[in-house]
Amino acid sequence: MSHLPPHHQRRTFLKLGIASAVLLAVAGGAVALLQPGLVDGKITPSTRLVLTQVAQGMLAGSLPADAAPRQRILDGMMARTDTFIAGLPLHVQAELSQLFGLLATAAGRRGIVGLSASWEAATAAEMVTALQAMRTSGMDLRIQAYQGLHDLVCVPYFAGHESWALLGYPGPIAV
Amino acid sequence: MSNLPDPILEGLQRGWKVLGGKHGPLPATLTCDVAIIGSGAGAGITAELMTKAGLKVVIIEEGQLKSSTDFKQLEPEAYASLYQEGAGRKTKDKGITILQGRSVGGTTTVNWTSSFRTPADTLKFWQDQFSLKDFTVEALEPYFKQAETRLNIETWLTSPNENNELLRRGAMKLGIPADTIRRNVKGCYNLGSCGMGCPTNAKQSMLVTTLPFALDHGATLLVETRAERFDITNGRITGVQCIAVKPNAAPVSSAQAATQIIAKHYVLAGGSINSPALLMRSKAPDPHKRLGGRTFLHPVAITTAVMPKTVAAWAGAPQTIYSDHFLHTQAVDGPIGYKLEVAPLHPVFFGANLPGFGEKQAALFRQYPNANVMLALMRDGFHPQSVGGQVELRDDGSPLLDYPISDYVLEGARRSMLTMAQIQFEAGATMVYPGHELAEGTSTWAQTKAAIEALPMKPLLTKIGSAHVMGGCGLAGDASKGVTRPDGVHWQLDNLSIHDGSIFPTSIGANPQLSIYGNINRLAQGLVKRLTGADVVLA
Repeated sequence: MSHLPPHHQRRTFLKLGIASAVLLAVAGGAVALLQPGLVDGKITPSTRLVLTQVAQGMLAGSLPADAAPRQRILDGMMARTDTFIAGLPLHVQAELSQLFGLLATAAGRRGIVGLSASWEAATAAEMVTALQAMRTSGMDLRIQAYQGLHDLVCVPYFAGHESWALLGYPGPIAV
Repeated sequence: MSNLPDPILEGLQRGWKVLGGKHGPLPATLTCDVAIIGSGAGAGITAELMTKAGLKVVIIEEGQLKSSTDFKQLEPEAYASLYQEGAGRKTKDKGITILQGRSVGGTTTVNWTSSFRTPADTLKFWQDQFSLKDFTVEALEPYFKQAETRLNIETWLTSPNENNELLRRGAMKLGIPADTIRRNVKGCYNLGSCGMGCPTNAKQSMLVTTLPFALDHGATLLVETRAERFDITNGRITGVQCIAVKPNAAPVSSAQAATQIIAKHYVLAGGSINSPALLMRSKAPDPHKRLGGRTFLHPVAITTAVMPKTVAAWAGAPQTIYSDHFLHTQAVDGPIGYKLEVAPLHPVFFGANLPGFGEKQAALFRQYPNANVMLALMRDGFHPQSVGGQVELRDDGSPLLDYPISDYVLEGARRSMLTMAQIQFEAGATMVYPGHELAEGTSTWAQTKAAIEALPMKPLLTKIGSAHVMGGCGLAGDASKGVTRPDGVHWQLDNLSIHDGSIFPTSIGANPQLSIYGNINRLAQGLVKRLTGADVVLA
């Protein structure tokens, strides 16, 4: 996308895919222009907010209760998320960019996540309720989004050595 | 980090011809006797036999060249550099996550070393349904024997780790026979890190066996190089166009000129999904609409158990015990049969595969040292309702597998979850979690049985994985039933052979690596004979 003028870099029409199908479902067929969730393969501030909130629901009970160590782990996860995404094929990056672009909108947040509070205002309890509803939804697209978010949270979390202490994993044996 | 000798670095210092990525730019053209696309199980065996016969070989690999110095037993690096799509390749509806290798050595670099010959009932089905009369146990015997000798495939004599032992213990209590798995290892350290690349070079993957042989005998290896398409004229391939790609498979440059490789004969061995996709991009003839169809996955259902004592499922040979009882208690074309095995558990794999989230999952995370994940590999492709998946191309030419999860497979998921949960409880489990989004852990067999029987078995809700991709360029003795002739040559393209797991007309019903080695050993020996008149053997 880097050869496009800035206007087009920031805004992209959804192509057929998970995100557009959800959008059609929640927005009654309206075609929307969305801010991409990834720019140059890295998460944008709005994607970071979505992922941070989702992570605090997904990893409730695993992340430290205290704010400072919790934030340190979340910061590490977000850095590893960028590394993880950079290793993914472009078609996966494009799909994630669409998904996060959609989740950042009010329609996407309500329609896919089932969250009425804004991302900034959502409480941990509201996140847990929303994630459970996604996970057990009768709508394939919501389950797909839940499972995608689950992977995007778990891979960076368990890639971090902080999680090893929680698990009781001793790490690799030196050879 | 391994402090042991690295045979790949040593080979590069000896002057192996490796190009692509950091090894040097790709030339505009290369000519050779045989161009092999891919470097996994089928490619490696073929490369050794071709170079043994004195043929000039070029091997084209899309992934990177990584070796024991790089294999640090860390999942994130391994998944990003050694697997297709970062170990997150998914089917079209995202119902199945596929673990498939993508580096020099292909899936053999990251597999768990389980070695089984092609089962007799699978071969019988091929003979009967696909006119493959020469695919008999007896005819294949010498070719399997050679592969086993070459790759040191032997019974694993070390005691199984507790993760595997509990499968045997629980099964035995139910009167279900379980047996020892043979492994392709030499001097194994019993680390359990096979899935991240063997740091001690004990695993006899293609990376440390046949490919070094071929490179020592003059082969050229192109890495980080993708075969984009074949040039086809009058039923023959006249060249293969390749481009340099980044580690994430994106082209290095949109403006780059392609490298053209011109060979007398071409061997396609990119693995299922990728091999049919290359033929599709090339608009290869497909008069009977078989290409990319009947792609099979051994869909895997899982249950997770918490055991009363430490299991340490990350340590020790990953798979050493299996049971085929549920492959043989019904007809091969009856309700879907399944093979029972266990999974090694490292943090990311464990975290990503457990159903659920939040507080309940956090409690289970803390039980990680005591956790066991049991696997039921379902034998797809033997029943009219088990037609497998169809490979498609995205707009950018990359492949996508459409594999709808049928009710036939989902019935097997339920049945196999019941089996696995019962075995886990017999082995002493205190809790069992079926691999299903609606399942909660239960602490007795009766509760778990009732829970599994009540679960709605639907795609996405039912957690299904795959580590074995087979088919898509199926063998058949009749052109209307497949893509590949019984001698491995494409039915419509005379100078193209297909030498990988994509030729299997059904799933194997066992971890497929030895099926690829043995079957391709025979096909490649035949090809050498036709190309040179020489008789060569693998061992």
